[in-house]
This record gives sequence, C-alpha cells and structure tokens, in this order.
Amino acid sequence: MALSSTAEAEDARIARGLRESDLELLTSLVERYQHRLVRYLVYLTGRRDYADDLAQETWIRVLQRGSAYNGRQRFDPWLFAIARNLAIDYLRQKGKGGQNASLSNDRDAVLQPSSGPSPFEAAARSEDAIRLADRLQVLSPLHREALLLRFQEDLSLHEIAKVVGAPVTTVSSRIYRGLSELRSAFEEK
Amino acid sequence: MDSDKRFRELIDRSFTGEISERERQLIQAHIRDCDDCKHYIELTARTIRGLREFAFAAGLESHVRVRDILAHHTATMRQHNVRLKVRSAFVLTLSMSLVGSLIACWGARLLAVHTHFGIAQVQAGVLVFWLLPSVCAALSTLVAPGENRGIA
Repeated sequence: MALSSTAEAEDARIARGLRESDLELLTSLVERYQHRLVRYLVYLTGRRDYADDLAQETWIRVLQRGSAYNGRQRFDPWLFAIARNLAIDYLRQKGKGGQNASLSNDRDAVLQPSSGPSPFEAAARSEDAIRLADRLQVLSPLHREALLLRFQEDLSLHEIAKVVGAPVTTVSSRIYRGLSELRSAFEEK
Repeated sequence: MDSDKRFRELIDRSFTGEISERERQLIQAHIRDCDDCKHYIELTARTIRGLREFAFAAGLESHVRVRDILAHHTATMRQHNVRLKVRSAFVLTLSMSLVGSLIACWGARLLAVHTHFGIAQVQAGVLVFWLLPSVCAALSTLVAPGENRGIA
C-alpha cells in the first residue's frame, strides 16, 4: 500500500513537472527511461538505427504534450503509447504511405532488416537469448511488442491494452502466439 | 489429449497472471502425472527467462543528445510563451484604454454641461490626459525587454 502511494505521488510529481516543462525533471526521466524506451522501439521496429531517432522524437513529444499527462495512470505506459504512435507514423513514411511497412500481424510487413547482426543478436546476453534472437527478428512486431510489455516491462494486460489500443483478449492472444513461436526455438534441439 | 490442450491453455494463462488460485492448484495436480505438460511449463518459463536476457543499452551520447535537444526546445517554448503573453497584455491594455477613454469622454461631456468648458475642450482633454498615455502604456509592453515587462 505504501509502495503504491509512493508511486502515485511520483506520477503526480511527474505530471506537475511536465505541465511546467521542468527541464530538470525531463532530464531525470530521460536518465530513467531512455534504455527502456529504446528497447521498446527496437522490439517495435526490429531496427536499432531507427530506435534512437524515434526515442529522441518521443522525448520532444513528451515535452510538447506534457500537460496531457494527468498523473492518474503510470507514466511508462503513457510514454510507450506516445512512442508507439510515432513509430507507426515513421514506419508508414518509410513505407511511402503504403501498407508494407506498418505494424501488422503479417510478418512480411515489417521493415527490411539492416545489414549486419540483428539488434536482438547484438543484445542477447545468454545462450537462451541467442537462440531466441533469430525467432524474435522474424516474429511479427505486434507479438514482439506484447511479449516485451508483459515480460520485460511487467505491464498488466489492461495497461498493455491501453498502450496498443486493442482489447485485452487480443493482447493475451498475441502473447500466447508469440510465446508459442519462441518456444519452438527450444523444442527443436 | 483434449485435456492436455485445455491444461496448456490454462498454463499459458498462468504466465500472464490470468488464473485463479483454484486453477493454479489444478495445474499443480495435473503436472504430477503429466510429463508433457510439465515439460511445456519448463519450456515456457525458459522462454520468458530468455526474453529477459536481452540488454539494449542506450549510449551516454544518446542521453546527452536528448538532453541538449530538450534544453533547446524548452528555451524555444519559453520564448514563445513570453511572446504570447506580451501580445495578450498589449491587446488587453489597448482595449482597456479605448473603453476607459470612451467612459471618460462620456462622463466629461456630462460634467461639461455644468462647467464653462466646451465639448471640444473636454474631448481634447480626454485625448491628451487619458487616451494618449494609455495607448503609450500599451505600446510600452511591446518594446520593453522581457524581464522589465512585469509579465514574463
């Protein structure tokens, strides 16, 4: 209970700071959330080179629209929702207004991977992670996103549903489907 | 087989925290006798553990770059806000001076009936002693440096 009231007070403090465009607060938020933001954007786009630019854009958007955050919900899902919208716009632009680079269930619909090792290979820190890296690269961004938000960001299904703008049942089925695809990395050996 | 499928769905739900305590006990009882489902749980747990073993470090230079960009944007936004406040203050002062002059002119006309001043003299007085100073006050909000405007 004490923990949750501390978190609520913290979110209220963030909301106040954002309303006042408090640069000190923004700097501390960048320190705290930048690596999580970049990770989320890598999962969404499958590309490390886009993630840094998008993270930068996300922080500018946070500064410009800071007064829209009311502090009654957690800050991180709100931040991810902003990043997600920007990523979708960005992917659409990269796809020249077509459908081929937007977020979709179709695994062919993601951006072409960059040359060299995939961002997942580069970030893998264990044997099991290395085995998962290839699967993650070809997994649909929507499934990757759901897995990340649930198992790395520890967001509840309701919070994920808010971030991705989909019903809770859709979110759960994305998680199960994603898990099932990744599990096969261990089943074959 | 059907029972295994049902249990696997339940196991999946257990990893997203969607099951009740009773369902959790059911799974525990089932895997005592079912090696396939036990293996399924182990594989799923291993997959989730593996997912947590990716580290995407954001470089220090990316923090610094974002900080610099935010500082620049904050300064631009502040300047924009000051300009907006100055314009609003100008419009407000000007409208107050015009409305005030009209009221003063009307009051002076009423008073002029009982004095020896003519209407033209009263209007000149309002112009010189009310309207001109108040318009000058409005204009001064535009030309004064930011910190001296009293509104920045």
